[in-house]
Amino acid sequence: MAAIGVHLGATCACAAVYKDGRADVVANDAGDRVTPAVVAFSESEEVVGLAAKQSRIRNISNTVVKVKQILGRSSGDPQAEKYIAESKCSIIEKNGKLQYEIDNKLINPEDVAKLIFSKMKETAQSALGSDVNDVVITVPFDFGENQKNALGEAAAAAGFNVMRLIHEPSAALLAYGIGQDSPTGKSNVLVYKLGGTSLSITVIEVNSGIYRVLATNTDDSIGGVCFTEALAQHLASEFQRSCKHDIRGNPRAMMKLMNSADIAKHSLSTLGSANCFVDSLYEGLDFDCNVSRARFELICSSLFSKCVEAIKKLLQQVGFTADDINKVVLCGGSARIPKLQQLIKDIFPTVELLNSIPPDEVIPIGAAIEAGILLGKENPLLEEETLIECSAKDILLKGVDESGADKFTVLFPSGTPLPARRQHTLHAPGNTSSVCLELYESLGKSPMNEEGKFAQIVLQDLDKKEDGLHDILTVLTMKRDGSLHVTCTDQDTGKCEIITVEVAS
Amino acid sequence: MFLLIASVLCQVEPVGRWFEAFIKRRNINVSASFQELEDEKELSEESGDEELQLEEFPMLKTLDPKDWKNQDHYAVLGLGNIRYRATQKQIKAAHKSMVLKHHPDKRKAAGEQIGEGDNDYFTCITKAYEILSDPVKRRAFNSIDPTFDNSVPSKSEAKENFFEVFSPVFERNARWSNKKNVPKLGDMNSSFEEVDAFYSFWYNFDSWREFSYLDEEEKEKAECRDERRWIEKQNRAARALRKKEEMNRIRTLVDNAYSCDPRIKKFKEEEKAKKEAEKKAKVEAKRKEQEAKEKQRQAELEAARLAKEKEEEEVRQQALVAKKEKEIQKKAIKKERQKLRTTCKNWNYFSDNEADCVKMMEEVEKLCDRLELASLQCLNEALTSTTREGGKAAVVKQIEEINEQIRREKEEAEARMRQATKSSEKSSTGGGGGSKNWPEDDLQLLIKAVNLFPAGTNSRWEVIANYMNLHSATGIKRTAKDVINKAKSLQKLDPHQKDDINKKAFDKFKKEHGVVPQMDSAAPSERFEGSPLDSSPWTTEEQKLLEQALKTYPVNTPERWEKIAAAVPGRSKKDCMKRYKELVEMVKAKKAAQEQVMNATKVKK
Repeated sequence: MAAIGVHLGATCACAAVYKDGRADVVANDAGDRVTPAVVAFSESEEVVGLAAKQSRIRNISNTVVKVKQILGRSSGDPQAEKYIAESKCSIIEKNGKLQYEIDNKLINPEDVAKLIFSKMKETAQSALGSDVNDVVITVPFDFGENQKNALGEAAAAAGFNVMRLIHEPSAALLAYGIGQDSPTGKSNVLVYKLGGTSLSITVIEVNSGIYRVLATNTDDSIGGVCFTEALAQHLASEFQRSCKHDIRGNPRAMMKLMNSADIAKHSLSTLGSANCFVDSLYEGLDFDCNVSRARFELICSSLFSKCVEAIKKLLQQVGFTADDINKVVLCGGSARIPKLQQLIKDIFPTVELLNSIPPDEVIPIGAAIEAGILLGKENPLLEEETLIECSAKDILLKGVDESGADKFTVLFPSGTPLPARRQHTLHAPGNTSSVCLELYESLGKSPMNEEGKFAQIVLQDLDKKEDGLHDILTVLTMKRDGSLHVTCTDQDTGKCEIITVEVAS
Repeated sequence: MFLLIASVLCQVEPVGRWFEAFIKRRNINVSASFQELEDEKELSEESGDEELQLEEFPMLKTLDPKDWKNQDHYAVLGLGNIRYRATQKQIKAAHKSMVLKHHPDKRKAAGEQIGEGDNDYFTCITKAYEILSDPVKRRAFNSIDPTFDNSVPSKSEAKENFFEVFSPVFERNARWSNKKNVPKLGDMNSSFEEVDAFYSFWYNFDSWREFSYLDEEEKEKAECRDERRWIEKQNRAARALRKKEEMNRIRTLVDNAYSCDPRIKKFKEEEKAKKEAEKKAKVEAKRKEQEAKEKQRQAELEAARLAKEKEEEEVRQQALVAKKEKEIQKKAIKKERQKLRTTCKNWNYFSDNEADCVKMMEEVEKLCDRLELASLQCLNEALTSTTREGGKAAVVKQIEEINEQIRREKEEAEARMRQATKSSEKSSTGGGGGSKNWPEDDLQLLIKAVNLFPAGTNSRWEVIANYMNLHSATGIKRTAKDVINKAKSLQKLDPHQKDDINKKAFDKFKKEHGVVPQMDSAAPSERFEGSPLDSSPWTTEEQKLLEQALKTYPVNTPERWEKIAAAVPGRSKKDCMKRYKELVEMVKAKKAAQEQVMNATKVKK
């Protein structure tokens, strides 16, 4: 049994398949693992992918790009306005819906998306060798209902059976299997997605294998395209320096330069320098230039700092510091840039930066894994199922550390999906015959004070041990309404105490 | 002791298998620990089988390792009761316990005699485990499970208790489905959608049951590639056959169920009733429409009739009114006349003697007749207002006027009469509208034409006129009207004149042809031309005979003309031929004239 995971981004689309317990990205018929989300319309046919992107120079008004930015949006939306202003195809509004006007035909954005999905479906099916239709598609976290519906429709029109739409940050986490191994424990993960047209940072809390988004921030002004632009500008000025022609006013020449800059940028992620060659850039003059990685980083330094600033802002918004984040996941094509990775590592020096999976494939692989999990399940997801009761506060135990100061250990972290049970083996000094456990609750890292104490358990008549410690097995069970049930058992004597703490009403 | 804050609702990402498990647990309302207990329970169940296994020891002894294919692997491992429901854990555990009990080394240590080599039944156990632990092989073995009841209840069995008979069968066979969530048979109250879903599922039943276990020959036995291929082919054919049988079995099962299902019957009847109701409603509606139309039409007729009646009424009224008026008028005139008469009488008609009196009376009568009401009234007034003498004068004056009028009228009438006779004379003597000359020749021509185109010919007179115009020696163009008139006048002529004309015609004819029919002393020439012998006109009888002969001897007969001449007594071959030619020409001329007329009328149109 196999299933497909598809990520439709603004600039590229990528499909991965889940088969025999593994998820892998599939290459399309041209051999590329990512397909540009570009559709070119001519009178006889529609072309999707690299061919469309390359022929865009000659056919600019009939080639649709970045359809994700307009999918499901209506004309009052500022995003849509911006898209229409920048678009080289004419867009008109009809019956309240935005449509492309190409060759005097009206084409829906959903139809364009459908064509891209069909291409991804073909790719996946040819890799699997069978007609698999079950798919999980990723959507950005800030996609609204309309957009999700439009995307779902486009996928269904392409012949897909959409099992679920999941958010891109969650898919990224799933790809690395974060939190999927240890069901207990809580950690925070930062997902950094620098895609073709936008930068998206999300902080996710992982608890008991379930993900919860704490905060997210999207900046549409930075994207891989901006880096390419900067490089192209630099190349144009180089050309001007050598041939005394300013080609910035010539759109065709600029587009050729952009294509070449794009390729150079990709090479610079792995090599130290790249060569840009454009045949007959302007008036029959060829252009040849070498760009080193250092120069590229210099050109884009302002962009880099912008990228990094955004992280800091988000952390502030959530109230975390860099230490609270346990892991960072990189995704999006432009996260390949070494300098960027370096900068992020600088912010989070102790943190593990996950980039073993190529950043532009992380999301589709996560989608494919989710598709594999959902295989065979028939029930669609209901809205209410994503709302889960979680514990509101940490339950802590007051203890004493080596130096004699108070030390609080978290027995039951906040944000744990309920109902849940945690058990710990606690150690109490063996020379006493009674042990008192004091339970506190608190939220966050504010200093503990006596007000936080809500319960205590006392075990008596324990055997004294001169050396050694009492092993107390403590099991905390919290029900969905938040009431707590604590059982303490002394391993040696078998004595146990049980208390139940209700919720204040 | 109370917690300060209750749990909070948080939005989580529906991603990952922990999420799915969480949701599943929540839906079936269990907690994680409960699930653990469930797992523990399963484990404890397996230990209960241990006792059973000891009993099977004698059975195991009978197993022959070479015959492993025919053994019941589940029974061997001691899972004879739960069979396909056994989990892998259970199988493993069962196998382990069997091994511990029946391992040759152990038994040897216990002093048992072990069969040499492979004859020990222990290999059966290992084989059984091998098959049951491999999911593919296990599936193959499950497919041919001998304990499965393959029977399909027939229609007659299910007549009484449809649900009791078929429910367990469907449940049994649900095992083979590839898709999970097999719909159940349901009961009498299941809705249409449920029944529909049930049957569509079972008609498209996707079964994983396959019969590779029953392959007769194994690939490994083959010695060469060809043999292997042949064996594969045989196996494949056998498998396909069995699979087909299986599909047929399922199909028969579903068919039987469908035909006996009381709910299906119920639904069909409901549908039929609905359709009937619809049809009836349609017919009703149509009928009502018709009635409405009828009524409308009737109403319209009524209205029309009423209107007509009203009109007639009006007309009648008017007529009455007019009549009444006339009556009044008449009465008035009568009154006046009477008055006049009495006044004149009183004055003794203004005359003294009898004769005058009578004459006067006549005159007075004339007055009464001729004068209108108004003049009568005037006269009366005048008479009443004057004396006898005055009256007389007035009356006399009126009489004179009247006489004048009478005379004038008479004159006019006479004039008109004269006009009429003159014009009729004109038309009878010449052509209408202008005097057209009709010389002798033309008259002859006319007569000929009239005879040529008898009554009944299309546009006869135009044709005759045309003919005239064509053949006339004079250049006068005649119209049909002239011709008609002339012809009529000719007819009117007395026979005497006709004779004259005929005679004249003959003379003319003689003059034209200039030859007197006399015997030619010259040698009778064979040649046709110039021979005057045969210029005696053809009688009708001769004509008839000629025509008959022509018909009898069609065109290609040899010596045709001899035969024809023989048929017409008194005419030689030459005569006949000449006559024939004349006839042909006449016909042609006729046709030409007729055509001209036709063309003329066509153009006119």
